[in-house]
Order: sequence, then structure tokens, then C-alpha cells
Amino acid sequence: MDTTTDVAAVSRARTGDADAFRLLVERHSRAIFRVAYRMTGNEHDADDVVQETFLRAYRQIERFEERANFSTWVHRIAINCSLDLLRSRGRHEKHYGGDTSDEALQGEVRADDPQPDRLLLSAELQKQVTAALERLSGNERTAFILRHFEGMPVEEIGRTLGIQVNAAKHTIFRAVRKLREALEPFVRSTPCST
Amino acid sequence: MQHLTEEVLVAHYYHDDDAPPAAEEHLRACGECRAQYDTIRRVLALVEEAPVPDRGDAYGDQVWGRLRWKLGSDKRRRLRWQSLLAAAAVLAIAFFAGQLWHARNSSVAPVARATAPTAAVQPAAASQQQPTTDRILLVVVGDHLDSSERMLVELSNADPKKSLDVSSQQRRATELVASNRIYRQTAVQRGDKQIASILSDLEPVLVELSHTGSTLTPEEVSVLQKRIDAKGLLFKVRVMSAQNAEGAAKTAPPPNTNSL
Repeated sequence: MDTTTDVAAVSRARTGDADAFRLLVERHSRAIFRVAYRMTGNEHDADDVVQETFLRAYRQIERFEERANFSTWVHRIAINCSLDLLRSRGRHEKHYGGDTSDEALQGEVRADDPQPDRLLLSAELQKQVTAALERLSGNERTAFILRHFEGMPVEEIGRTLGIQVNAAKHTIFRAVRKLREALEPFVRSTPCST
Repeated sequence: MQHLTEEVLVAHYYHDDDAPPAAEEHLRACGECRAQYDTIRRVLALVEEAPVPDRGDAYGDQVWGRLRWKLGSDKRRRLRWQSLLAAAAVLAIAFFAGQLWHARNSSVAPVARATAPTAAVQPAAASQQQPTTDRILLVVVGDHLDSSERMLVELSNADPKKSLDVSSQQRRATELVASNRIYRQTAVQRGDKQIASILSDLEPVLVELSHTGSTLTPEEVSVLQKRIDAKGLLFKVRVMSAQNAEGAAKTAPPPNTNSL
């Protein structure tokens, strides 16, 4: 395993060392894919975002401040790439695909399931979670993912989405409320694990 | 007791609330709010279970495989742009150099008349400002030699079996004779034997050409070409022209670096 630090690899990549940039790509690709997938909800789009992210990183590597964290920096680029992709496809302010009505969603939830705790690990429940995330609007999904999975401060989420801090906070709240409405039936009988 | 709103509970979960200790205290005291809060925590824990396809250990390698090609084409595109810009810059420089050369060429005689006599009649002043006058002389003589060289080339390349219209060369020769004489005298006074010698060889050819008619017969063309060849005039002028260019560059003042 290569023990070269990210900082050293960035320094070498700046001088045109392709192997150094390759190291950064190999080290961070999977994490970038995860955030891209959560943002876009689509494997193919996530792969495109990963490519675009590292392409932008390569072009902008002179702007990277060595005191900063490369992982954080490249994650920000990935988020911007995802937003650009969603906007370019006109999906950002629309709901994601599938039947998004409450009735349809609830219809798939078997609320009278005698053993809901077993569902926790089931593919069916994973589908419900995915469906619940897809019901969120583009802004809600983005704000939620940035806050919940990426740990981004509300202020920065506001800047990323071009909205006020209070609006960003309220967007996150709306996302959580929608998720709760959709998924609460599955957690009522489940012991809290956190 | 006033319960915490759902919005406050969500903000508290993410540590975005304004008064976390107060909310914490309320949650300890209020079972209803605590139940609400636990539900939120469970839902959000469940969301984390949302599947993300695993790309495997080789994913980074695959990404690099695709990316390398793109980076390569990106680099090639950049190089292509740089090449285009460089070519455009060379063309622009060539254009302005041509303009400059043309302007100098058309004004060389008046400049020479104005500069050379000054240097000749004021040797004391000239010696005080020798580097400057040397450079001016080299530049002016260089231009003179360039013009003479072009004219000699035209004559040398002419077909000796045909008549040649030399009306334009005759006009130029008339101008060049006057300046050639001044430069030769200046070179003699300054002890520059090499320049004085080449200008002495050049002068009879220029004089002869300035006194001919506007058209040379094939015989006259042939005689003129033999005279140019016999003295190796074209070769000497070219060598001197090149040496002059080098000398002018060496005596040029250093560039001003204060603005850097």
C-alpha cells in the first residue's frame, strides 16, 4: 500500500506527475462514488460525476491549498458536479422518478407486517428507503445528504444551494419530516440502535 | 409544559439548535418529546441503511483508466491551443516587424542625412556619447546595407539574356549613393576600416546604376553582374550586414528591469 500522503501526492501532481494524481484517484474514487450516488440516485450518473470530479480536480489542482484536506476539497467538487448534472437534466427542483404519491408509497408498505424488525435488513425495506429519498425534491435531497451524510454546516449548505441559512435549515427539516412520514411505520417496533 | 416542535427536534439532532442544553433538559423531563425524538433518530438511522452499490477495490483503477485518456486529450487540446497561440504570436510579430522594416526602409535616407553629418562634424561630442552614436551608426549602416543587398540580389538574379527595367533600382541607387558617401566618410573618420572598405566597393556600383537609363540592355546587365561578382560584393555586404546586426544588438542598452 502506498504510504504517500495526499498532500505529498498533490504536490507531485502539480508538477505533472501522473502517477501521483493516479494515487489520489485510486484512493478517493469509491468515497466520491458514494456521495455522487446519494446525490444523483443513479449508478450511471454517479460514475459520470466521479469522472467529472477528478477531471475538474486535475484542472484546478493549482488552486488547492496544501493546508486544506484533499478529501474535503474533492468532495466539494463532487457535490458541485452532482448539482450541475441534476440541474442540466432539469431534475433538481423536481421529484425523482417513480410513483411518488403518498398513497402509492404507503401501498407498498405492509404496515401490518407481523415482524417489522426483520424488514430492517430486507431488500424490501431498502427499496422503501430509496423510494422515500426519491420523493424528496432536489433541494431537499441535496440539503439532507449534505447535512446527514457529508456533515456539511447549514451555512455552507445555504451557500451551495444559493439560499439563506434559515431556508437551508427549513429545507433539511422538510426532508426529515418527509422521510419520517414515509419510514416511521418501519421503526415503531424497532428498538433504537443509536 | 410546552413541547418541542418537530423542527427543533430535527435541529437538535444535527446540533443546529440555538439552545442545545435547554432542549436536552426538556427531553429528559418530557416523555412525549423524547418519544418523538427517538422516532426521528430511528428513521435517520434507517436512512443510513439505504444501499449504495459497492464499486469494489478495482474501481479507482477503472476510473483512472478512463480518466487517463481524458486527461491526455485535455493536455493535447491545451497543447494545440498553445501551439495556435504561439503561431498567432509569431505571425503578429512578423507583421509588426515587417511594418517596422518598411517604415525604416522608406525613411532611411532622410534619417541618414540627418544623423551622419552630425556625427561627422562633431567628433568631440561623438566621442563623449560613443556607445550611443556607435549603435546609431551600426543601425543606420545596417539598414543601408540591407537595402543595398536587396538591390544587388535583384540585379544578380536577373536574366542576362534579357533587357531589365531598373527604374525603381535607379531611384533607390540615387538615394543610396548619397548616404553611402556620408557613411563611408564617417567610417573613415572613426577609423572603421572594414565598413569604409565595403562602402568603397559598393559606391561605384551604386553610382553606375544611378547614371544608367531606366532600362538596361542584356549586355549592360551582364557587365553589372560581373562587376558585382568580381568583387564578391554581395557576399561582403551580407557578411557585413550580419556583423552589423550583431554589433547593434551588443551595444543596445540593457532592458529596464525596474518595472518587474
